[in-house]
Amino acid sequence: MISLWRIFWLEVVSLVRSWTALMLLVASLGWMFAANFVLVTDATDAGKREMLVLYGLGGVFALLIVAVLAAATGTIATERESKRLQLTQVRPVSSFAIAWGKFLALSVVAAAILAFPCVTLLASSEFSGRRCSHVYRPLLESPKEEALKMYDVYMADPETPPLVKKAKKPVVLRILEQRAKDHYQTVQTNATASWTFPGLYDWSNENPFVEPAARLRFSNTFSMRDDVYGTILANGFFGVVSNITQTAVTVPLHLCQLEWNHDVLSFRNMGDKPVMLRPRQDVELLVPADSFAWNLFRSYIVMVSILALVAAFGVFLGSGLSRPVALFVAFVSLIVVEMGPSVIEQYPDSLETDAVDRFGLTIVRAVETCVKPPSALAPLSKLAADDCVEPKDALGTFAADFVLGPLVLSLLAAFVMRRKT
Amino acid sequence: MDEAIVKLEKVSKTFRDFWLRPTVEAVSGLDLEVRQGEVFGLLGPNGSGKSTTIKMMLGLLPPSSGKISLFGLPPHAKAARAKLGYLPELSYLHPFLTARETLMYYAGLCNLPRKVARERTDQLLEMVKLSDVATRAVGGFSKGMARRVALASALIGKPELLVLDEPTSGLDPVSTKEVKTLVKALAKKGMTVLTTSHLLADTEDICDRVMILNRGKSAAEGKVSELGESLEEFFLAKVGSGDDFALADFLA
Repeated sequence: MISLWRIFWLEVVSLVRSWTALMLLVASLGWMFAANFVLVTDATDAGKREMLVLYGLGGVFALLIVAVLAAATGTIATERESKRLQLTQVRPVSSFAIAWGKFLALSVVAAAILAFPCVTLLASSEFSGRRCSHVYRPLLESPKEEALKMYDVYMADPETPPLVKKAKKPVVLRILEQRAKDHYQTVQTNATASWTFPGLYDWSNENPFVEPAARLRFSNTFSMRDDVYGTILANGFFGVVSNITQTAVTVPLHLCQLEWNHDVLSFRNMGDKPVMLRPRQDVELLVPADSFAWNLFRSYIVMVSILALVAAFGVFLGSGLSRPVALFVAFVSLIVVEMGPSVIEQYPDSLETDAVDRFGLTIVRAVETCVKPPSALAPLSKLAADDCVEPKDALGTFAADFVLGPLVLSLLAAFVMRRKT
Repeated sequence: MDEAIVKLEKVSKTFRDFWLRPTVEAVSGLDLEVRQGEVFGLLGPNGSGKSTTIKMMLGLLPPSSGKISLFGLPPHAKAARAKLGYLPELSYLHPFLTARETLMYYAGLCNLPRKVARERTDQLLEMVKLSDVATRAVGGFSKGMARRVALASALIGKPELLVLDEPTSGLDPVSTKEVKTLVKALAKKGMTVLTTSHLLADTEDICDRVMILNRGKSAAEGKVSELGESLEEFFLAKVGSGDDFALADFLA
């Protein structure tokens, strides 16, 4: 235990005395301050809040990810190359303690630096009195289940391309799953669409004076901006929709005792044109939760956990590779993790692309599968939208990204370090 | 004095390239024993396999074949490492730590409680005459001072076996004499010392027994007093006196 603490201490001291920590802190606070002047908003309070969270705090978070990755890949690699690692390894210290101590130090320093911009955000007037909301989605079949159901029909359909018919079942299922995710529901004029939200009835009985909201994102056939009018009913709560399509519209719902329809939220299209939405992505029920400060704290826990996982990954790479190679692999992995999902989403149907693209997609999928974090949350976008980062999600991310993932990576690093020595 | 603290039996080490093809056989079928309380010298010209042998003893390199034991345990066992002090060929100190912090760091790695670590750090700083500069970063130290810090950090865990790889390398005559005196004093106190060097005069002064390595093999082994009148002559006879450079053509 003493040796673990000493390794931790040495790493912290090296980060502090090499000015790395201080420079990162100054850069972070400087950016948070400059963001108020540099970032152009839509002149609304909501726009400014979004900018400060997504680009202010988001910029600091991105900077820390890059810095932590660079530092983590170097920490063991440079010690090994300078032969200082030998002097630690000949002491009664396990290789795991070396990897874990270094990982902990990097994570703690990153967490300490990230705390400062979070505090400045908390202190700014734009966020005083803000509250966040629990976000619920309708109860629907999962895309995987829908894909499985659709499989036989799709394969029997004469319009299905022959190339797809020849493909293996998992490939076709992947295509169908993506289609299910993007499946649009059309609501005709004067028609009503309903979605089930389990627990809505119980919740409204337990919290009779708390009014929820609905967040919907409408579209139309030609993806053009158009007016949308309608009403929303959700178990005794009522709201009016009057907005334009292509925008997420949040509709406050008020108690009206009009209709007690158990666990169902319904939208009636009162405009003169049909509208479309994707129930899996575009329909949400917002229920008031706690304060912005608590939400920021939970987001902070998630961000620190992600930084910890990045640190552990860097330490693992540095334990076996030279620093330049480890850095290269780390950043390629980071880019794939960041961009992989959107690449895969944009090109779900690998059968329709040429051989080179198919090869690239296969590589992206393989790398993404290997380096995908055990738990992925987007704390900043939730924070910007006043969506609650649920405590169980924050704890789950902490357990997966700060404890379990790094534990496995540190064990691997220890194994590699012993082999490499 | 008879109990073997370090034991190597038929140890070989072959380095391989990326494709696992053998590139060089650094150590070949080496048998070696270092007994408790003795100062043992591992001598040999550059590239004779001294450092490779030391690294295998310390568990930093796995042998290709053969068996190594430290205190009757495998070299990577924590219990064996707890009784070990190691001074590498170059000091490899963390430049941003002060001399005191360096010793406290290595004391921590030996799991010494804070109070004991502090006491021992003060004693060792006093011993290597660095008390006055204890709060200066070692990155700014001269080579001799850095060497002394490294020696103190090798001794911080009160090791039973001290492994010194070229301990006087880069030291001036005064510092060299100090190191030799220190090694003699430690040996008198019962510490087992294993040292490597290619500086024969240094070894002759402090070692009870030596082994001469040449191309990874033992060329000779025995007590210094038994090897003949001069260790240097014996050494040159065993490893070759070396040919003069063929300068004639170049200078013509």
